[in-house]
Amino acid sequence: MKKKINLWAWFWIVLGALYFLVPLYGTFDFSLREKRGVLSLLAYQNVLADPRFRDSFTYSTLMALATIVVGLLLIVPTAYWVHLRLPQVRPLIEFITLMPFVVPAIVLVFGLIRIYSGPPLALTNSDQLTNFLLMCGYVIISMPYTYRSVDTGLRAIDVRTLTEAAQSLGAGWFTILFRIIFPNIRAALLSGAFLTFAIVIGEFTLASLLGRPAFGPYLVYMGNNRAYEPAALAIISLALTWAAIGLIQLLSHGRPGQEQVGGVH
Amino acid sequence: MAFLELTDIRKQFGQAVAVEDFNLKVDRGEFVSFLGPSGCGKTTTLRMIAGFEIPTEGSVTIDGADITNKAPNQRNVGMVFQSYALFPNMTVAQNIGFGLRIRKESESAIKERVDEMLALIHLEQKGHSYPSQLSGGQQQRVALARALAIRPQVLLLDEPLSALDAKIRVSLRAEIRAIQRKLGITAIYVTHDQEEALSISDRIVVMSQGHMEQVGTPFEIYNFPQTAFVASFVGTLNTTTAEVVDSAKGILQIDGARLATAEKLDGRQKGDKVTIAIRPERFSFASEQKKANVVDCRIENITFLGSIVRIQVSIGSGKYFMDTFNNPFLELPKVGDKDQVTCSREAVLVLKD
Ligand SMILES: Nc1ncnc2c1ncn2[C@@H]1O[C@H](COP(=O)(O)OP(=O)(O)OP(=O)(O)O)[C@@H](O)[C@H]1O
Ligand SMILES: [Mg+2]
Repeated sequence: MKKKINLWAWFWIVLGALYFLVPLYGTFDFSLREKRGVLSLLAYQNVLADPRFRDSFTYSTLMALATIVVGLLLIVPTAYWVHLRLPQVRPLIEFITLMPFVVPAIVLVFGLIRIYSGPPLALTNSDQLTNFLLMCGYVIISMPYTYRSVDTGLRAIDVRTLTEAAQSLGAGWFTILFRIIFPNIRAALLSGAFLTFAIVIGEFTLASLLGRPAFGPYLVYMGNNRAYEPAALAIISLALTWAAIGLIQLLSHGRPGQEQVGGVH
Repeated sequence: MAFLELTDIRKQFGQAVAVEDFNLKVDRGEFVSFLGPSGCGKTTTLRMIAGFEIPTEGSVTIDGADITNKAPNQRNVGMVFQSYALFPNMTVAQNIGFGLRIRKESESAIKERVDEMLALIHLEQKGHSYPSQLSGGQQQRVALARALAIRPQVLLLDEPLSALDAKIRVSLRAEIRAIQRKLGITAIYVTHDQEEALSISDRIVVMSQGHMEQVGTPFEIYNFPQTAFVASFVGTLNTTTAEVVDSAKGILQIDGARLATAEKLDGRQKGDKVTIAIRPERFSFASEQKKANVVDCRIENITFLGSIVRIQVSIGSGKYFMDTFNNPFLELPKVGDKDQVTCSREAVLVLKD
């Protein structure tokens, strides 16, 4: 009886793995066939030799990091305050954070361009300010994921009592947020950060319409003009994304004392 | 002048009054408990001392300084919560040192104080453990040490033992009391457990529905409850209505018997109704020794409670409990027997309305 259940479990796991891995393998195999008749890394060499690849990937990585930091600094205090003082507005906040699912990115970006391409706030006239505008857009489209992760994290701890305990020991809001709240929802913050990273790296609509040299538009450009390089790019960007996520994971585990807390959850 | 003073405190949440007419003076080093049923305003009052709630009216002063509107982190008040509220991301030592670190004390001073606190709660070995690696009782001791480490002017404890099991509750409450005595710290302790309040406090404030029912030592609260509420909430008590027969001599009529009380019945007229109360242990069988009030009764029920045997008797249409100490040579009556019980005049308490 027990054996049978195990067998089924394995069956589903293998089926699920195949569902993801077969296309990946297909892409990988295809990416090695630029030279007729032999397997070669030529497509990879071409991609890596292309400065636009390096530049756009770096650009998007930096944008993703900025988005994560700004997004969390915006969402965590908000969600914290809602938990602590304004539980009655939670449905409203949830509704707002779901808006990016309802309003397509294309609508969002046209809205941004309309408002910020002329006075009084002509942000699109300079590259730096357009970068800023793009990051704000990213913060918005990643908000549903960030908010949900943070909210789940806050639900798992006794926000109110921990806050009051810290207050009675003399802590101010800054200390409470950075020494108590952030460390105790670390896992939630990380998962929010991963999702944001993944979204921003591949994002096309906002970056392309704001005319910024991001990785998403580059991928699409390559896809339209080459055959084998896009497959190689897909594999590379997957690997880089995982590497970046692993790095975040590693960095955030490096702090003393955190491991054991994580182990308990 | 009292060390901690709450004057004419009133707290409203919207239209609902949580606490009103609250006046209390606590001396330095005193251990005062707030005792009362759920929702009577104990926590709300405590939170006003801590600064988590601001009174709608009235004032809170500590050592002469008015702190009514001060933010919680500007007061020097330690708080222990029912749920421990230790910071899960910090070790025991870091938790205890947290308040000192906020106060920017030197690392060596912090370490010294943390070690001192760990010794106080007998957890010297656990400084590097995380809260999740400790038992509930140990966690609450750490929470106590964390609150005490900052040398607070007042220590506040909100049902600190409710989440623990019975044995630890009893030993830890003794430990809390011993530590409080040793440090001479002023403490306010919230509980809904009357035994806890009676055993641990210098004074008890019995509360009901947002106001103070009675303030007194455990001895006074138990032996001389002034209101029907206090009488019924603290310990087991027989209460019934009686009619005044002779207010000068203190003679009362209850259903099925006439009782004399030692209490003054000033201002009561013949025929007035009063509520009287008698502790179960103040009754005894009339054959044992003669007292003022000897009353016919019938044995209704006998319950064995270990060191005490609780006998239910009926007098007239009323039912009353009577406690006698257990001993192996005790000759217990049988259910249904007719007998006589007695109690002294002093045992018949007349309660305020
Ligand atoms: N933040 C609040 N908003 C509205 N009403 C509140 C609030 N806090 C407390 N109350 C109300 O005030 C009254 C007293 O509450 P309080 O928590 O002080 O009771 P308590 O004596 O501590 O009870 P318990 O033994 O259950 O902890 C209750 O009726 C409660 O509903
Ligand atoms: Mg309470």
